[in-house]
Amino acid sequence: MSSDPNTATEAGSGLTEMAARAVDVVKVYGSGPTEVRALDGVSVEFPKGRFSAIMGPSGSGKSTLMHCLAGLDRISSGRIWIGDVDLSTLGERQLTRLRRDQVGFVFQTFNLLPTLSAAENIELPLAIARRKPDRAWLDRVVDTVGLRDRLRHRPAELSGGQQQRVAAARALASKPEIIFADEPTGNLDSHSSAELLQFMRRSVDEFGQTIVMVTHDPNAAAHADRVLFLTDGRIVDEMAGPTAEGVLDRMKALGA
Amino acid sequence: MLRATLKSLAAHKLRMAMTALAIVLGVSFVAGTYVLTDTMNSVFDDLFATTTKGVDVDVRTRATFEQTQGPEVREPVPAALLERVRQVDGVQAAQGSVSGYAQIVDKAGKPVAPMGPPTLGQSFGPVADLNGGAQLRPGGRLPAGPDQVVMDARTADKSGFRVGDRVRILFEGPPRTFTLVGVVTFGDVDNLGGATLAGFDIPTAQEVLNRRGSFDEIQVVAAEGVGSAELRDRIQAQVGSRYEVLTGQQLAEDTAKSIQRNLSFFTTALLVFAGVALFVGAFLIYNTFSIVVAQRTRELALLRCMGASRRQVLTSVLTESLVVAVLASVLGIGVGILLAIGLRGLFGALGIDLPGGGVTLLPRTIVVSLVVGLLVTLVASLVPALKATRVAPIAALREQLVGERGTLRPGRVIGGGVILAGGFAALLAGLFAKVSNELSLVGLGAALILLGVGVLSPLIARPLSGALGWPMARLRNLPGRLARANAMRNPRRTAATAAALMIGLALVSFVAILGRSLKASTDQVLDRTVSADYQISSSSFQPFSAELAKRLREQPELATVSSVRQGPFKLNGQSRTLFAVDPVAMEQLVDVDVRSGSLRDMAAGGVAVYKDVVADNGWRLGQTIPMEFPRGGVRQVPIKAIYADKTLISTDYLLSLADYQTAYPDQQDVFVLVKAAPGVSPQASRAAVDRAAADFPNVKVQDQAEYKKSVSDQVNQLLTMIYVLLGLAIVIAVVGIVNTLALSIYERVRELGLLRAVGMERAQVRSMVRWEAVIMAVAGAVLGLVIGTFFGWAVVRALRDVGTTVFQVPVGQLLLFVLLAALAGVAAAVLPGRRASRIDVLRALAAE
Repeated sequence: MSSDPNTATEAGSGLTEMAARAVDVVKVYGSGPTEVRALDGVSVEFPKGRFSAIMGPSGSGKSTLMHCLAGLDRISSGRIWIGDVDLSTLGERQLTRLRRDQVGFVFQTFNLLPTLSAAENIELPLAIARRKPDRAWLDRVVDTVGLRDRLRHRPAELSGGQQQRVAAARALASKPEIIFADEPTGNLDSHSSAELLQFMRRSVDEFGQTIVMVTHDPNAAAHADRVLFLTDGRIVDEMAGPTAEGVLDRMKALGA
Repeated sequence: MLRATLKSLAAHKLRMAMTALAIVLGVSFVAGTYVLTDTMNSVFDDLFATTTKGVDVDVRTRATFEQTQGPEVREPVPAALLERVRQVDGVQAAQGSVSGYAQIVDKAGKPVAPMGPPTLGQSFGPVADLNGGAQLRPGGRLPAGPDQVVMDARTADKSGFRVGDRVRILFEGPPRTFTLVGVVTFGDVDNLGGATLAGFDIPTAQEVLNRRGSFDEIQVVAAEGVGSAELRDRIQAQVGSRYEVLTGQQLAEDTAKSIQRNLSFFTTALLVFAGVALFVGAFLIYNTFSIVVAQRTRELALLRCMGASRRQVLTSVLTESLVVAVLASVLGIGVGILLAIGLRGLFGALGIDLPGGGVTLLPRTIVVSLVVGLLVTLVASLVPALKATRVAPIAALREQLVGERGTLRPGRVIGGGVILAGGFAALLAGLFAKVSNELSLVGLGAALILLGVGVLSPLIARPLSGALGWPMARLRNLPGRLARANAMRNPRRTAATAAALMIGLALVSFVAILGRSLKASTDQVLDRTVSADYQISSSSFQPFSAELAKRLREQPELATVSSVRQGPFKLNGQSRTLFAVDPVAMEQLVDVDVRSGSLRDMAAGGVAVYKDVVADNGWRLGQTIPMEFPRGGVRQVPIKAIYADKTLISTDYLLSLADYQTAYPDQQDVFVLVKAAPGVSPQASRAAVDRAAADFPNVKVQDQAEYKKSVSDQVNQLLTMIYVLLGLAIVIAVVGIVNTLALSIYERVRELGLLRAVGMERAQVRSMVRWEAVIMAVAGAVLGLVIGTFFGWAVVRALRDVGTTVFQVPVGQLLLFVLLAALAGVAAAVLPGRRASRIDVLRALAAE
């Protein structure tokens, strides 16, 4: 890890080692006097098989960064790769397919379709792609999140924690290159939060999954391998092997 | 509160536009109908004001029959009356006039036969003011002598006739050829409301129009200084109460009124279709407001939290509907005027020239249209508005719960059941019981049944959409599966949307079944009861000359010829219609299943009566019944036969021709039935019939197969017209699907965002919306088909006595309707689908 994360990409050698990369990413909203630079030259790499957390105060651009990395939003300049694919070369349709096949999502709320059962929600990306699910893999995922007995239930019949675990299982189901989690524990009590985070940790450790999580909770960030700190659209700091206290101190230092 | 309401309206322009569209379409149909018929009426008012301009007083016999259909039937006045009128003090000039049937034949030998308006023959006398407002074009003169004729300018121009040309004209009697000596116009128009006119001098008219020694009316010009009302009274005193004496103005009003009576049927028919459109529109409005209230639950609860009373919430929702209703109704009146102008153009294209400048917009049209638009909207939005008042303030704080259960409150189930039962009772009573206003009862019953099914439909919407969506879920994979789940998640919404289409499809399939059954029944009845080889009927809707039957009888190849005439009569004050037949010939040509007596016994006079009528009146064979005819008043006519099969002749009374000839002023045939002599080949007999009919281009000769085909063609033509008129209701229902989808998408925006985020392609989103629309459309179609089939069955049963003996379901056609409904669903999904596929994923995910 470089001490200055904004120059880290200069190495650039091991493309296959990175699940996602961003180089000099700028995202501008509006124009003229109302112009807002949500991302102001961000360069960052997410190595495969690692659990990264992105932290920062409100309006720091952490959600925007995640949306751009995930192909949900277009950037103003710079480049982003998912695996070997340069997102700027993709049309709307290819981008959609990339999200379907290469990216997993866990949002803060409303992760599940109310009309589908838990099992159907887990298989949703596969069903969209009309791909045959890998049964053995799905069984393993379901057992890991501990939802075996809830598979036939509708989201309305599940607790908040269970719903988030279904969402996490869905993100894993298609074995994506990378999973983006946007404040996944934001609406959960501490017990459910811990369960979900442990599950995410295990999927990195046991399945080699790459996860990027945006959070403002130091306890959540402590489950990651490293934490990136974002302020005013720039990556200002990075911490490896974080602890909740360490993260909290760093946040205080950043004036969050 | 008002400001909040208006803001909410402005914020949802699409929703408002869609709701308004349903009202606009329905109201425009109502307004268009009134504008069209009012315009036509005012045209006729003007026309008759023109034709009676020079007439101060008119003398005629009192009408025997106030018919709802067709012209009034009056007995002629004797020619001698003219002298008595002339002697009245204050009469400057009096002139008898005659009018009747005269069919002009064009240069190609084809009759100039407008569809609907009559082909008139009329006398032209020396008193120019009394010739029906006709003015000669320069270069012409009035007819004088037995071979001279004038005609209306439109017919002359259209058929290329010039003064000096020879013109062949058909009459009740033999056809004749005349020399055209003049062309006439009427004020600023060139024809009489589409009718053709041939004018003759008075003696010729009396001869060819079958009025020897009599006139239809006597018209009078008053002397200088004598008021027409005063002169009328003097003439009335002179001629006695047997005659009706009117001023010219009264005559114009009276004539216009009798035309208006004929038009009123047309008005009613169009208004029925307008009513269907509004009924469907009401479902759409109800559904839209229900969804809107559900989506605004939070907002309404917040208002309640802040102290808004229930009444204020109610007012808020009703105000929204009121604003929409007023705007839409006003717009509907505008569209209705355009519709009327368009229809008038259509009439022009059909040869019915409706002259006169602008359209007639009566205050009544505006009032009725506004009231109907407002009432339908308010009634339809009342239930959702009341539901809005039941939103508890605490709902504002709860997590929003969109979606509902499939269960209905018991009150609604009971209410729906009561409506449905009432509908069945009214329908069946109207069809099978003996009641006076059966048509309105049947209509009410049908409407209640549709409403009842609409109210109860949420009960079956979930299983029905599930079943219909099953193949889609299998075939279309995920989009199909989600479409099915979406259609099933709000049974009430799906049901109300489908119900709108159900109404249209129920009526369409009912009409299709009725049409098919009529055709099949006709075929069967003809095979069973008719042994005639040929049937001769009018090619326009006018009866034709009795001369034809006479010529047919002269052909040696033809064994039996039976004329059939039609006419009105009164029995105990009630108007009835009879057919007159040659009893001996009839017996050989048509089997009416005589139960007692014999048609043959009627040869010297008498009537045959249908068995149920005999039973209802407690009559018996041999007794006389008091029949009042246009000529000669009440006569005691003996019942000579009782018959049990009226499927072909569709009348309760068969009079002998002998009686008919003395009881009616005009002797024209509506049908002639012909049977070939034994051993004559079909070719030879056909040639004989064609030979006899050669002089009568206004009739068509058909053998049984051709007749069956012509009935089938007529039914098809009628069906097409009804389909077109019902099309409006179906368009509204499709708009309803668009509306429901648009509102659903608005409320499912987060789901759509999620689906797009995890990789659903736009095409798949569109596909999902499309299949949901198809499920709703097909669900409505299937329900409609079931109800329509029931309606068809019930009505066919009820019409069994009058010839609809076969109940036949056009399965292929009904399946086609379902397919078309599915396609309509696909079309309805285009815009909402595009909208759903283009949502901004990030904003959708962030949406509350």
